[in-house]
Amino acid sequence: MNFTNKFMLMEVEVKDKIYSLGNAKGVFENEFMPHMDAMYNFALKLTADEDDAQDLVQDTCLKAYRFINSFEPGTYAKAWLFRILKNNFINDYRKKSRGPSKVEFEWVEQSISGEDEAAEPAYFADLQAETVNDMLGDEITAALQSLPVDFRMIIILCDLEEFSYEEMAKILDIPIGTVRSRLHRARAVLKTKLVNYAKTKGYN
Amino acid sequence: MKINCEHHQDCMQLIQKILDGEASVDEKEAFFANKDLCMPCQKGYELELSLKANLKSKCQLSCPEQIISKIRSKLFLLLILISILIPLFC
Repeated sequence: MNFTNKFMLMEVEVKDKIYSLGNAKGVFENEFMPHMDAMYNFALKLTADEDDAQDLVQDTCLKAYRFINSFEPGTYAKAWLFRILKNNFINDYRKKSRGPSKVEFEWVEQSISGEDEAAEPAYFADLQAETVNDMLGDEITAALQSLPVDFRMIIILCDLEEFSYEEMAKILDIPIGTVRSRLHRARAVLKTKLVNYAKTKGYN
Repeated sequence: MKINCEHHQDCMQLIQKILDGEASVDEKEAFFANKDLCMPCQKGYELELSLKANLKSKCQLSCPEQIISKIRSKLFLLLILISILIPLFC
């Protein structure tokens, strides 16, 4: 038996589950690697910096590997990875950058308490579907990027990654009602940003 | 067709629920039965639909191959390290 096969057959025991090193590597390749694009995209939108996004994805993968025994094969690996990435971002990366501004806190707090329901303009008459369709990717990305991070996060999870409300609640550690209200508020703010953007760029 | 919607806030929340795949069959039926009779709801639906579609199609990036290679090499090193350490403690 060569060296590679020998260590692949060794076992790592954590909690009540046992993975051979080979199996752990297999789980990693088959279950986690297909989500690398989504993880990088999420990391880049959160950090707004390529180097930080690369570090965040690498740290997330290594952490996922370290805690691979708490992953149940057959369950939704993407949601599990996104939860690790989000926690990693909040614990390590967000501290490095500036803290959220007072305005960001107010927006998010209002959405959590549900006091903002009347705050959304009743009808975005200035923003039409055609205008959004005409916008370039950079413009939509810029509007998304300018949102407070909690709003950005929930829009990415819902609209880009298509997680259900229940999955988002688990990833973000918030009640499902808060997912709904935060999402609603985040979209209203995004639309306001796009309206302003459309006006300055001269879209009809 | 109505040009004002007296329930527009509720309708917008329902539209988002429908597009997010979270609405019940009854809620969907109720909305689509009225959508074409109410301009703000029709416009709101089209706007939300285009926003969702454009976010999905225009804001996606691929993970650079170099990150994937880096992660694979770090994991390989980790595996080697574990394989060396385990026999020492067994």
